[in-house]
Amino acid sequence: MLNAERHAYDHHDALQEDYADRGWTDGLPVVAPTPAKVEAFLDAAGLKAGEVLGEVPTREVVVTAEHAAINAVMAGCKQEYMPVVAAAVRAHLHEKANCHSTTGTLCGAAQVVVVNGPVRKEIEIACEGACFGPGFRANATIGRALRLVIRNVCRAIPDFLDRASFSSPLRYSFCFGENEEGSPWLPMHVERGFAPDQSTVTVHSIMHFVSAIDFTARTPEAVLDTILATLRRYGVFSDRFLGDGQNVMLVVGPEHMRFFAEEGWSKDDMRGYLWPKIQKTGAGERPIMLGQPEGMLITAAGGPGMAETWLLIPHLAWAITEPIS
Amino acid sequence: MAENGRLVALDPTSGPLERRDDRTFRSHPASLDGQVIALVANGLGQGEPFLAALYQELEGQVELAGAVRVLKTSVSVPPEPADWARITSEASVAITGFGG
Repeated sequence: MLNAERHAYDHHDALQEDYADRGWTDGLPVVAPTPAKVEAFLDAAGLKAGEVLGEVPTREVVVTAEHAAINAVMAGCKQEYMPVVAAAVRAHLHEKANCHSTTGTLCGAAQVVVVNGPVRKEIEIACEGACFGPGFRANATIGRALRLVIRNVCRAIPDFLDRASFSSPLRYSFCFGENEEGSPWLPMHVERGFAPDQSTVTVHSIMHFVSAIDFTARTPEAVLDTILATLRRYGVFSDRFLGDGQNVMLVVGPEHMRFFAEEGWSKDDMRGYLWPKIQKTGAGERPIMLGQPEGMLITAAGGPGMAETWLLIPHLAWAITEPIS
Repeated sequence: MAENGRLVALDPTSGPLERRDDRTFRSHPASLDGQVIALVANGLGQGEPFLAALYQELEGQVELAGAVRVLKTSVSVPPEPADWARITSEASVAITGFGG
């Protein structure tokens, strides 16, 4: 039983104009969220319309599966993406994902959705070349669906509860998968306690999206030194509410990964090298406020060519991993 | 879905954005004379000394009745319930600020 208010239009263009005029879009056209499509999305995920996915207490907002499904349809998702969207919404609404702060902040933090497990192949989540960019329907629409939920349901609307000075193009959509098959490492979700065959999403709110690029490094230590020097330029900040659970995510491309693979370095070896250095903040350097080595989340993605690792530097939030059911 | 030949679609929001009827903004006072000022700092940068300096500046211009100083315990979340209680029960005007 759907609860949302219904609106009738003479034709599709009228719907587009009305949804835009009401401020219900991200500025791009949307797919009409008809009751039949929304019900099909809910069925695909085994969700009841009224099932609560999470809340934003400071905004007195309760987000239901129906809300998520309506916005997933609008984003252009296929119905088989709906379980991923629902898990992403749950992750973003975890208390320590800090929705109110991360979507209202002046700094315009964006939400990244990282997908692990078999679902990546099933719905064709791009994990390799160009995976951060356009051209992949699942990546583009799942990230967009989360952002539409944040806008339409969680009320993060520019000049209302979204107070960003500049905001970010990453807020249109940012979703990719870990290249588990192309990596010698344990996947991120397995490191976080899930079985390899359990699909998951990890959602993190990020303040900076920075490339640690180094074409000259030829050893694991040299690559990590470049990563650390880049990270130091921005710092990682935390506060009492987040405690020691803050995360930073390193997305290692294949040109950097091979130096670790050749030397047999695991993700834990990388953390073991970085951790003592992270804890020594020199004069004039920005702190990296992680409570524990595991706060560094390491993923593999991207295509060959550029010798770089991307740093997803957080706003004030934990990265939350949720199973996809 | 077409109903009577029309395209029917669903509202994607959690409801209208209007303020709740039982909570409205208090109107701005005509003057700060006699007001108790809540100074709510979020803990970033120089926000707290900035608010202290602002209060000092105001004191030189009008007769203030006192200050309620609140420093949030965490940057990224609202004040604690006890702080809200102090603000709403003791202050008549609040100034919030941040610093970077």
